[in-house]
Amino acid sequence: MIYDIQIKTDQRTLVDIEDFELNPGKLTLLLGESGIGKTLISRAIFGLLPDAEMSITINKRSYAEYLASDECHEIQSRGFFVFQEPSSHLNPLMTLSEQLNEGVIEDASSNRKILKDLFPALSESDLYHLLGIYPKPYRPSGGEKQRILIAMAFKKMALLRGSDAVFIFDEPTGNLDNVYRNIFLRMLIAAYKSVPLTTLLITHDYSMISELLATPSGAMKQIEFKELRISDNHQKQVAFSTESYLNWLKSLNPASPSIQSSREPVLMLQPEIEVFNRKLIISSDIKGRDVSPLEIFAGDAVYLKAASGVGKTTVAKIIMGLQPAERFSMILDNRTHDESTPGSVWRRNIWAKRMSMVFQHADEALNLNGKVKDIFRGLPLSQRSDPDFLKRTLATVFDRHIAATFLEMPVAFLSGGQKQRLNLIRALILEPDILILDEPFNGLDFNTMQRILNLLQELQKKGKSFLIISHNEEIIDRFVSSERIYYLHRQTDIKGET
Amino acid sequence: MKSYQITESIEKAVRDFIVCRDWLWFTIWLLGILIIWIWNLIFLNAPALRQIENGFINTIVIAIMVIVFAAGLSWGTTLLDDFLHRRFARLQIGLTFLINLIRSVPQIVGTLLGYVLLTILMQNRIVTSEAAILISMALVIAFFLFLEIFDLLRERITHFRRLDFYDAMLVCGISEQYIINREIILRSSPMHIINKLIGIFGAAIFLLCSVDFIISVGLSTQISPVDLPVTLGSLLAKIDSKQDILAIGHALTHWNYFPNLPFEHLQGITVAILIVFTLLCIYQIANGYGRRHHL
Repeated sequence: MIYDIQIKTDQRTLVDIEDFELNPGKLTLLLGESGIGKTLISRAIFGLLPDAEMSITINKRSYAEYLASDECHEIQSRGFFVFQEPSSHLNPLMTLSEQLNEGVIEDASSNRKILKDLFPALSESDLYHLLGIYPKPYRPSGGEKQRILIAMAFKKMALLRGSDAVFIFDEPTGNLDNVYRNIFLRMLIAAYKSVPLTTLLITHDYSMISELLATPSGAMKQIEFKELRISDNHQKQVAFSTESYLNWLKSLNPASPSIQSSREPVLMLQPEIEVFNRKLIISSDIKGRDVSPLEIFAGDAVYLKAASGVGKTTVAKIIMGLQPAERFSMILDNRTHDESTPGSVWRRNIWAKRMSMVFQHADEALNLNGKVKDIFRGLPLSQRSDPDFLKRTLATVFDRHIAATFLEMPVAFLSGGQKQRLNLIRALILEPDILILDEPFNGLDFNTMQRILNLLQELQKKGKSFLIISHNEEIIDRFVSSERIYYLHRQTDIKGET
Repeated sequence: MKSYQITESIEKAVRDFIVCRDWLWFTIWLLGILIIWIWNLIFLNAPALRQIENGFINTIVIAIMVIVFAAGLSWGTTLLDDFLHRRFARLQIGLTFLINLIRSVPQIVGTLLGYVLLTILMQNRIVTSEAAILISMALVIAFFLFLEIFDLLRERITHFRRLDFYDAMLVCGISEQYIINREIILRSSPMHIINKLIGIFGAAIFLLCSVDFIISVGLSTQISPVDLPVTLGSLLAKIDSKQDILAIGHALTHWNYFPNLPFEHLQGITVAILIVFTLLCIYQIANGYGRRHHL
């Protein structure tokens, strides 16, 4: 199945692709930076886009014609779509259990095994309790909701033995940590091996590649790796070379494999932090036995790991003086900063001079109402308004010549990956002594990740240091030497809250 | 630009014009004013027409000045409030008290009190020229309306402070003044501010007309409404206009009198229509503007 898709709004073209291929009976892993149209294309094929708000054509047919076609009906009735934001899928007026057994998937006989696999940490009674709640107001976690949707998809897959149908998983692991992500992938491969349904798995998590490549060779032949790229407002689907990704991964080495222990750290964060009535502990081992201060040396790259929701970003904000803590202490430039240090100290002495931070969501970290050039206005740089300087700077993270028109482009019109690049370059351009990178590879494609890592290593050679928070363990584990990895744990509830 | 793009742009402009209705109502207002003026030009005597023209222009000029003053006052107060919030939290309490004190005074009562002050200034010959009186009237009204924009600005700043974008800029060394003025107020809130200013424009006309009508009983033994620049409100308060308005009531019970209204009672009816029609159009323009920008 080859699709020629155009999606436009009043203001601009969102998608223009002539040869989007969805091979029947194949599992296609579609990679690519965020915001370039992966979701829109898949929703258009599934017939889920609002026709009134956009001008859409599929294979030269109007969207209304496509929606009325047998092809679209077939896809909708036999297939399944797992949304990247599970809240938008679940009905707040029905319990999770009711929704899991609704419509054609009403047969609950397959629930037990699927749910047990997807929720290995929950006992039968916990699972029963979880399924009995409503999505609102009880608010199951994003990960729980996402796994419920995945369970629905697997139930429908099990129903369609021997038949052809289209299953689309749009960033199905966005709310899952690596453990649950790998469980999902193993289940998907197992389901796919029993019935090779047409499956499109959309992601920008490149570390899925290694996990998929580890599957038995029989299934591997049916897996296709594709990448969606954008150039001059036209999307193109190209084959993705897993080999070049893995070779690059192997070649990735820490820029500073050993730290000179005689040197004083630039920053030392004491291992016990109290915030939101909870105590967080930093250790140098995964189990939390070797409690030790987090030290950052000049030219260092430090990786702070923790399970989702423990408080990595909170710790980063505490270090940056953005989040008040009940108790913490850090030494920066031989001066102690703690919970009693006034915020003006950060404003005067630290921000942009000694430390800066890149926030994880570029959409929230940038002002979407401005133009690209506006991102640099206000920075403490003398050349902030010089277009040539801006173009040169942007060229370090954009793999193309930067035209003057790009500087005038509204930030809101950029893809998620482009926004993330702006988010990164705004902090990198300042070259602070320590830069905290919170999920720096969010939404970036493979090429950009390479560029960013090269850039970071160049800065490391200049003595600049990084504290990295990322769920992209496969890559960061190789970028940072093993002794520079710290783990964050939530030790106890100080007031007994859960 | 290709021909189909031009066609699409025109189609979009026409669709927006009809659906959003802000420009549509602005056009209706201009056309309405033009038609009323042409009718008056033909059927109303010249001195009365000149008075209506002056009253209308003065009212619009005052309302425009109110917008400018209210925007300036609210912006200054917002910056002061934010500065005190960051540096001198105790002094901010004092400012909040003052703001709430102004808020507690009904706008119409506040404007009347402002007119009393203006009367004293005029009696003491501190304010004498017509321009100075117009500016003073606008200042008085703006003083009791600017809190609407101040609340909006404060709300916008609070909203953006909760987002990562505020902190992300701070840690990049961008000053808070820059973030508030450039990024929040100028770049992220102009539509909200303009929408509010349209509302302020309407509120200013309403307040001005109401107060000018009320003070037709007189301000002091020395100063009367005659000493103030003519506005639609003061014109409406004139005995001629009042009789014209009463004629409408008469026509409601004596239908055959209706044809006489647009010829024999033109002054009062014109003033009443100008006020009501302008307020209706401003209401529709504000709604349409909000619809256009999804506010």
